[in-house]
Amino acid sequence: MNYITNKKKQRDSSVEFCRLHPHRFRSFLDRPDISRRAFFQLAGAGLTGSFLLPRASAVTAGQVLNSGMLTQNSAKKVIFIHLTGAMSHVDTLDFKVTNGVTPDTFAPNTVNGVAWPVGLLPKLGAHLGDVALVRSVTSHALVHSLAQTWAQVGRSPVAALGDIAPNVGSIVALEKEKERTASQKFPAFVALNAAAASGQGYLNASYAPFQVTPRAGAASITNTTNSNGQTTFSTMYSRLGQYDGAMRAQAPYGADLKDMDKLYSAARDMMYNPVVDAAFTVSNADSFRYGNGTAGTNFGNALVVAKQALAADQGTRFVQINFGSWDHHQNIYAANVLPAMAQQLDNALGALIDDLKASGRFGETLIIMMGEFGRTPALSAAAGRDHYSIQSVLFAGGGVTGGKVIGATNATGSAIADFGWAGSGSGVKRTVWAEDVEATMYSALGIDWTTIRYDDPFLRGYEYVPFAKDGNYGPIKELFT
Amino acid sequence: MTKFSVGAAAGLLVAAAGLLTIRAQDPLEATDQPELSVSDPSCTFFGRDHDKFVAALSDTRAASHLTEDVVSKLGSAKKIMTDANYASVLFPSAPGGSRTDALQNPMVGIIDKYIFQKLSEENVAPAPATTDFEFVRRTTLDLTGRIPTPTEVVNFVNDTASDKRAKLVDGLINSPQWLDKWTIWLADLLDNNRQNDLGVVRFPQGVSAFNGFIRTSLQQNKPYNQMAKEMIAATGLNSYQQGELNFLPGYVMGGGPIQDVFDLQAASVAEKFLGLAHLNCLLCHNGRGHLDALSLWGYNKTRTEAYGMASFMSHTFTSQQRFDANNNNVYYWGLQNNVAPNTTVGLARNNGNNYTLDYSLNTQTGNRPQRGNVGTTTRVRPTYIMNGALAPVGSDYRAFLADQVTSDFQFSRTMVNYMWEYFFGIGLVSPSNQFDPMRLDPDNPPTDCPPSMPCTLQASHPRLLNELAQSFINSNYDLKALMRQMTNSRAYQLSARYDGVWNEANERLFARKLVRRLWSEEIHDAIVQSSGVPATYTNAAWNPTTVNWAMQLPEPLGTGPGTFLDPFLRGNRDDEPRRGDPSIAQALALMNDGFVMTRVNSTATTTTLAQALRLPDDQAVTTLYLTVLSRYPSPTELATAVNNLKNTNATARTQEGRNLLWSLYNKVDFIYNY
Repeated sequence: MNYITNKKKQRDSSVEFCRLHPHRFRSFLDRPDISRRAFFQLAGAGLTGSFLLPRASAVTAGQVLNSGMLTQNSAKKVIFIHLTGAMSHVDTLDFKVTNGVTPDTFAPNTVNGVAWPVGLLPKLGAHLGDVALVRSVTSHALVHSLAQTWAQVGRSPVAALGDIAPNVGSIVALEKEKERTASQKFPAFVALNAAAASGQGYLNASYAPFQVTPRAGAASITNTTNSNGQTTFSTMYSRLGQYDGAMRAQAPYGADLKDMDKLYSAARDMMYNPVVDAAFTVSNADSFRYGNGTAGTNFGNALVVAKQALAADQGTRFVQINFGSWDHHQNIYAANVLPAMAQQLDNALGALIDDLKASGRFGETLIIMMGEFGRTPALSAAAGRDHYSIQSVLFAGGGVTGGKVIGATNATGSAIADFGWAGSGSGVKRTVWAEDVEATMYSALGIDWTTIRYDDPFLRGYEYVPFAKDGNYGPIKELFT
Repeated sequence: MTKFSVGAAAGLLVAAAGLLTIRAQDPLEATDQPELSVSDPSCTFFGRDHDKFVAALSDTRAASHLTEDVVSKLGSAKKIMTDANYASVLFPSAPGGSRTDALQNPMVGIIDKYIFQKLSEENVAPAPATTDFEFVRRTTLDLTGRIPTPTEVVNFVNDTASDKRAKLVDGLINSPQWLDKWTIWLADLLDNNRQNDLGVVRFPQGVSAFNGFIRTSLQQNKPYNQMAKEMIAATGLNSYQQGELNFLPGYVMGGGPIQDVFDLQAASVAEKFLGLAHLNCLLCHNGRGHLDALSLWGYNKTRTEAYGMASFMSHTFTSQQRFDANNNNVYYWGLQNNVAPNTTVGLARNNGNNYTLDYSLNTQTGNRPQRGNVGTTTRVRPTYIMNGALAPVGSDYRAFLADQVTSDFQFSRTMVNYMWEYFFGIGLVSPSNQFDPMRLDPDNPPTDCPPSMPCTLQASHPRLLNELAQSFINSNYDLKALMRQMTNSRAYQLSARYDGVWNEANERLFARKLVRRLWSEEIHDAIVQSSGVPATYTNAAWNPTTVNWAMQLPEPLGTGPGTFLDPFLRGNRDDEPRRGDPSIAQALALMNDGFVMTRVNSTATTTTLAQALRLPDDQAVTTLYLTVLSRYPSPTELATAVNNLKNTNATARTQEGRNLLWSLYNKVDFIYNY
């Protein structure tokens, strides 16, 4: 595949070079974080105090700079749905009817002015007035793991700082920490069914995705109950205080021991906590409602927990949900392949939008749904679809104007016919990249996407969105107008 | 493991019980205890069940219980502890800090020379020396990834030999657990993963073979330069059989021309073996304008020079050997030199790429900026970037590179620094993969630095780094010798305790031992070992197929009890490195995970807890402290625990025992190596 096809453009923009270059370097031992230790580690590396970066801006280690962008600031929370394996765009969000190929059961129709597979995604179809579709999105890479990481960290995983790049959710957790109150007990970044989610990168582990596997009819968070029961656990915990209180308080071996004690308190707060239980327990009724009516699905359960955890206002600001697998290389139209997946998606997402609208939280909650890439517009010999760089991304809530379709592909979905947005500021109309989606998320949350943190292990400056300050990437403002 | 006759076992247990009594209750006089009858439940511990238990763990160090050695050592030592002298027994304040003289020798070797010299110059007081209890736990964990058994603790503490610390280190370095731990350590360094975010798949068989190569090399104490050469210059067609073939294929990347693969392979060799992560930067652009604040060496290097390194890979066909015609998703990796286009090597067809020509400068697309001719030069000859050495035409380029890399002084410096970072918490050069070769020589300090860079030496202790590197070379790259040198130093043997006000900025002076949270695998294995409840993990694709210890898991991705191991951030040898920061999830896992709770609540009669609870309260408490925390309880700790245990019925006493064991697993001095 050719990432750079426009030779002239490539020569003109050194940024275009840098965007793609594969740095793979890190210490295999502990990656420094922004703990006390890391700071002095950096200071000792011969970069003490003030130094000059290549672009001649004087900054100090630890400084956080931005260029004062006006953000959208229309959302408080994000639900990021990652369709792993890559959903076929031409069968779903960028529906194309191909005679003799598209199954009749898809019931092609025009809904809200949009060609739509009513038979495949009926509930989402009914919500087309609430969601916006961006159809001019292109992926940089067509390898699942690489492109999935790309979508989560908003940059090449093998580019400068790619290896130590935090998940966007970790940055959101860090940025929103200042708004957190003492009574809020939930982790800021919750990952549902997303064991493979990108982590906190070089940031402290407190910004790590908090992994939860939602289950119906039971508390979902791993290890928030003790098999000995609450009463016995209370005794055990008080014994721990008796046996270890002095060492935790005095920390004779260093401050790390005190840090651990604080985390124990936070962990204890999450246990046998009715607020936690309420938010992370899926009732059978909800599970069925987000499922197929008579049974729940893992994805449906995850959306129930996402809704509840955000509604609790306990400090959770970013929920990532992984939902796969959409890697339909063979027999894509067999009942148990795309149609089965689409039904799970449709039931759950439809119910979520219903609930958010009913509770009045739709406006504060930005929903973003994307795969790592799209699938080939032409059916393969195996009656499947292979990897393709173009895909469509769904946005909803959080200030997004419903009913919009931004960008368009050609008749088959094989090429972008209309970018549909103004680009990121350089005046050049172009495709939407994962970096732009990331910038859109930040902007909606009121986070300046041009922020650069000079606390990364290389002191190179960690850009929330790479090269954003040069206008190379930026939010899709058209979503909000 | 010695097998006991029932009669002898009974006698030993009696002795153990008596000695614990002496320690805990009657400090002044040892009194004989009545002999237990053979039918006493305690005797099963040393009898039939004990052997079964040991067999189940299939590990000579699994049984954490008191053995005849402990008993006899306790018998001769008759240590006396009271509230008043407890602190001085556990934390002696005498110079050297040990009840033996090993540490009272002023300074040993180059490490101490430079570390204490700098502390003196900076007027920073060092921490006191470790006690024997601190030392035996720390060193056993650092070298083998395990906590010491009570036998080992007591034997060591009671040993009066002046060289007992060095002897302990020798014993640990030659133990099978050392092999487990350092196989993982090197597999982490060398990115031995089943699959990575570049889409490279080694398969479990490849991972096992790579581990096998590392393990065998360690077992033979193969010189590290030899090990590196074998990986860099490897050729062959079956990565399941030939472990060293697994290194270079880990850096195959798609989506671009073949030069992208050469680049990443060369960059990885530079990072892993030369600490030069910046070569990767240079493979896209000149250093000037990019590395100005980071590396004087990088600042002075050009992309063309970096191509010279990548060119060493240009004759290498890294191939997928698809051995199953019906399944394209399984294959070995192969590495072959000088492969012409449109030829078949083993089971792989090389279509268009010409691996008989040097690195071509003509690319339009891919993952790196376009490569273009430099003047009239269209191809780059393989040229070693540190000295300009040129591989002869027709020679084995990678063998030439391997010789250049391993004979480079920087090669030695890099391993010495990685090792230092592990044992001391922070590298002498940190980050440890970002060396600046032009800022390392104290006799030739850097000049002509760009304004953005302080013209200072990079290492915190430049002469120490260089002398350690030289001594590593002199030892013929003996990893065991390097570990001995570090762990036998007085600097390593400083306590983590620090009297007075601690200034974080002094961390790089190494004035105290920096604690590290136990690795994921270490916590797991410490709980298995000290609880006496074994663990078994099986996968038909592994070699061996069954392991009993987390430190023997072939890779961190998706192996073992994930809900327990993953929160401790064992990394994935790809984009998530192993790390040591604490988190809420770790606290939840230690408090509640099934892995811990089944061990705390086990009703088996063979567990440490079951054995301990057959003893009087004070002895039970002492046994648990010694087994889990590798130390005796303080009088206050002892009194607290005894108070909870005493006057309870059998059920309640069992629960209090469980409460205690559970608390010990959640104690900060269990979670950290201090």
